Amino acid sequence: MTLSEVTKVTGEVGDFKVTVKEHPRYVDMDKCIACGECAAKCPKKVDDEYNAETGKRKAVYVKYAQAVPLKYQIDANACIWLNKPGKCGACAKVCPADAINFDDTEKNHEIEVGSVILAPGFEAFDPTGTEVFGYGNYPNVITSMQLERYLSASGPTEGHLLRLSDGKPVRKMAFLQCVGSRDENLCGNGYCSSVCCMYAIKEAVIAKDHSPGLQTSIFYMDMRTHGKEFDEYYQRAKNDSGVRFVRCRVNGVEPQGKEGDLRLHYVNEQGQQIEEYFDLVVLSVGLQTPKHVLELAEQTGIRLTAHNFAAVSDFAPVSTSRPGIFTCGAFSGPKDIPQSVMEGSAAAAAAADILSPARNEMTKEKVFPPERNILDEELRIGVFVCHCGSNIAGYVDVEDVADYAATLPGVTHVERNLFTCSQDTQELMVKVIEENNLNRIVVAACTPRTHEALFHETIKAAGLNEYLFEMANIRNQNSWVHTGDKTAATKKAKDLTRMAVAKVAWQGPLQNFSVPITRNALVIGGGLAGMAAASNLAQQGFPVTLVERSSVLGGNANHLHNTWSGEHIPQRVDILIRDIKRNPMITIHAETELMGAEGYVGNFSTTLKNKSGVKQTVEHGVTIVATGATRLLPDEYGYRKQKDVVSSIEFDKLCEINDNKVKTSNSFVFIQCVGSRDADRNYCSKVCCTHSVQSAIDLKKENPNRKVYILYRDMRTYSQREMLYKKAREMGVVFINYELHGKPKVNKKDNGFEVEVWDHILHRPLLITADMIILAAAIIPSAGAKKLSRMYKVPLDNHGFFQEAHAKLRPVDFATEGLFVAGMAHYPKPVEESIAQALAASARAATLLSKEEVTLDGIKAEVDPAHCDGCALCIDVCPYHAITLLEEKNDKGEVHKLVSINKAHCKGCGLCQGTCPKRGVSVAGFTFKQLESQLDAALAM
Amino acid sequence: MENKKTIGSVMVVGGGITGMQSALDLADAGYFVYLVERSGAIGGAMAQLDKTFPTNDCSM
Amino acid sequence: MSYEPKIIAFCCNWCSYAAADLAGTSRMQYPPNVRIIRVMCSGMVHPELVLKAFDQGADGTMILG
Repeated sequence: MTLSEVTKVTGEVGDFKVTVKEHPRYVDMDKCIACGECAAKCPKKVDDEYNAETGKRKAVYVKYAQAVPLKYQIDANACIWLNKPGKCGACAKVCPADAINFDDTEKNHEIEVGSVILAPGFEAFDPTGTEVFGYGNYPNVITSMQLERYLSASGPTEGHLLRLSDGKPVRKMAFLQCVGSRDENLCGNGYCSSVCCMYAIKEAVIAKDHSPGLQTSIFYMDMRTHGKEFDEYYQRAKNDSGVRFVRCRVNGVEPQGKEGDLRLHYVNEQGQQIEEYFDLVVLSVGLQTPKHVLELAEQTGIRLTAHNFAAVSDFAPVSTSRPGIFTCGAFSGPKDIPQSVMEGSAAAAAAADILSPARNEMTKEKVFPPERNILDEELRIGVFVCHCGSNIAGYVDVEDVADYAATLPGVTHVERNLFTCSQDTQELMVKVIEENNLNRIVVAACTPRTHEALFHETIKAAGLNEYLFEMANIRNQNSWVHTGDKTAATKKAKDLTRMAVAKVAWQGPLQNFSVPITRNALVIGGGLAGMAAASNLAQQGFPVTLVERSSVLGGNANHLHNTWSGEHIPQRVDILIRDIKRNPMITIHAETELMGAEGYVGNFSTTLKNKSGVKQTVEHGVTIVATGATRLLPDEYGYRKQKDVVSSIEFDKLCEINDNKVKTSNSFVFIQCVGSRDADRNYCSKVCCTHSVQSAIDLKKENPNRKVYILYRDMRTYSQREMLYKKAREMGVVFINYELHGKPKVNKKDNGFEVEVWDHILHRPLLITADMIILAAAIIPSAGAKKLSRMYKVPLDNHGFFQEAHAKLRPVDFATEGLFVAGMAHYPKPVEESIAQALAASARAATLLSKEEVTLDGIKAEVDPAHCDGCALCIDVCPYHAITLLEEKNDKGEVHKLVSINKAHCKGCGLCQGTCPKRGVSVAGFTFKQLESQLDAALAM
Repeated sequence: MENKKTIGSVMVVGGGITGMQSALDLADAGYFVYLVERSGAIGGAMAQLDKTFPTNDCSM
Repeated sequence: MSYEPKIIAFCCNWCSYAAADLAGTSRMQYPPNVRIIRVMCSGMVHPELVLKAFDQGADGTMILG
């Protein structure tokens, strides 16, 4: 339902009545064919919100070229007719589908639902009126969202970076961080928006890709690249791409001359006053809750934080204050895409938790048209060549490739598309396939690894068997890797297309088949994440086996005190453990190790061994890896050599037992990034900044006269944690920045320590006398991760954490189906993020467990009885034990030997095919004949 | 509990990447989903982004 | 005329083919002489295919898995 807003929610959990106001579109969705005639004729131009006001659109418009639904709409504020009926009406005259309806009216719908999930998102801070940055006054000051559009191939300048003042190419640009974040004076947004450091780096790198020679500088206070692989990206931007990073807050932007140059004044890291000129200044604007969302919060009756984000508990990160109403994404605090996607799934899990009795009551299966029999047809291959915006078309002459494809044997139809993967192109493909009676499809675009499944669905919708399809990888393996040689890239694109056409010609229809699902889960790891996932799955009605290596549940949470927002951890962990132990759906195996695992989605089989050595095999449909992480025992700063040098966790324990040394000490030095963000471990442990700040606040609370120092590299108190950082500074905690090349030195003195650190404000070394040194030690992968990764054949990243299927869009799935990851096994993270990911893993697991059976693909080995003589060479090489030898007697009583494939076990690896001397066995979709045709086509020219 | 009515459908308010993920997971797990979006098309802020870290895939 | 070798690479869908995709996403540049044939496992490549590649004029064949 588009153009719709929730205006009222009554009722209670499980049984809500929601009033939805649907605004008139003035275009009939059923009739509109999105031909664009109306917009071509519409005389009224207004600023385009989608392009962040960098371009214009018409009063009748479609939000963006790949919009779903791809239907035009009329902007009632801008439309001439709607404001003065009788004037204009140009769109209605030209519309070939008669879709324009000026009499459309607002409608109210009453909808009954069991639960409501609020995912209204954020708006970018609008810097209009903030005099100091000159936004709105100087044309060459733009926001990061506007830059995003300028860099886009579908944006107003098709990816070219030009000065708005005079259209000259941009040579030098500056990013100013924290505009509308961490700044209560300017806008009242004291929190950190969490995502701007990372997007500024990304934009700077991409801008440099677009315009070689471009100089980019990022002016920042703290570089907050705390997410998975973010620090490595930051390092690459700095060292490989040459993005300049300057630690300072620029206080204003001034114009210089008439052409539009901009002058920045700042103090550099050496303490010098600098004046520097730029062509373009980009304001890295923060995230905030839009006004209409505040209204939504009021209408739905949920509580907000002081910063206008939805109030949630760290232990129930997607539950609002009203039962049955959930939240996810930036509404509960600024966050990045993977965290938002995780929360999206987590909210689904939380809703399913309460609605499971009514599962499948209101849904029906998607139906596809019956499959066309093409066996007796002549080849009619359709080729779709994708521009991928400029990703392919920028480096390959796509028109030439398309013309060439039309000359290939068997090809009867060729199309080019700006984005072949967009929703409207899918509809177009279905139409083209049906109209031209195509029976094999080739898409020359990106990679089958990400997009094959989408196109399979599409051709299925056109009544073709989904396997009558092949992709030519002309992006990842061509345009992106030969960016400097268009001629060669175009030639290679033609070759790849020819190879795909040659292969698909030998492709016949294949059938998927189903195997039943064991409808229960194995959760590995009894920490917070594992328990949260187990509890939610059990609540949804699925039995869970929970395996824990140690003798107690709780994991790392057993060593923690308070969450960043001050919730008491031991109390909540106790409740969770009690619930888990009481739940009849959950079987706990403590002090148990995993010995081995086999199987596949829906049908895993894992062998456990308990402490007395008794082995047991568990059958399960899905596996959730929640094995957590552990702490580094540092070997610097005198740790383990000096008595009063302790790690954060140890320090917490000392505080808890009211240790005399802590009580009597007057000077504390916290050293951050001990073992994190260095050559060995180039990642951020994410939680330590907040942890040290909290400890520092507690020390100051106990005794304000104590001296507390935090030596940090970048203070990463992201999101609403920033308020703790502010509070600590107000209480007199001293924060001193150090760089990796100038680590603090700890010297033992007679009664205590002397810490030497370079002071970047005074520009001289500083000596601090300390009674205790507290080290924020890194979080490192758990010891068993490697073994587990081999057992389930799932990958680890460079640092030894588990690698998810896609950093942005599939943050809890493994690439292998049926396996999921949650908590610190994935990356260091705080309590609420671990729980959100655990709930997300549960939601993803439930999408499988809620079905009776799982569909396996048709890429399986097949035996050709005419060629197989039962020599059985393939049986030994099959790693999945999927092949058996059959002996059959024919009529004459002669014994005929033949192998047979168990398709549920076969993974289509084709070792049998590579081994068979008789071509008696081959993998459907990759037969000898198909590979041979591809090879012939590759070498044909 | 038995007498209480439970409706097997969910309303997801917001058609950005987060709302879409919620809606897909719920639909795949057997619940009917109403996806309510304020503007004329789903996609949200991510559809405005040119490319995303770390793969620089286009955001569509 | 400079010598331009023709190279055939059989790449496993799960590792080296994915790595070749990743080389693209990372924008690593390499000479355009390689033609990749995707297989479900490097073990799928029959020795006869390798011989055939040379027979048809390939200067090098890689099996990556």
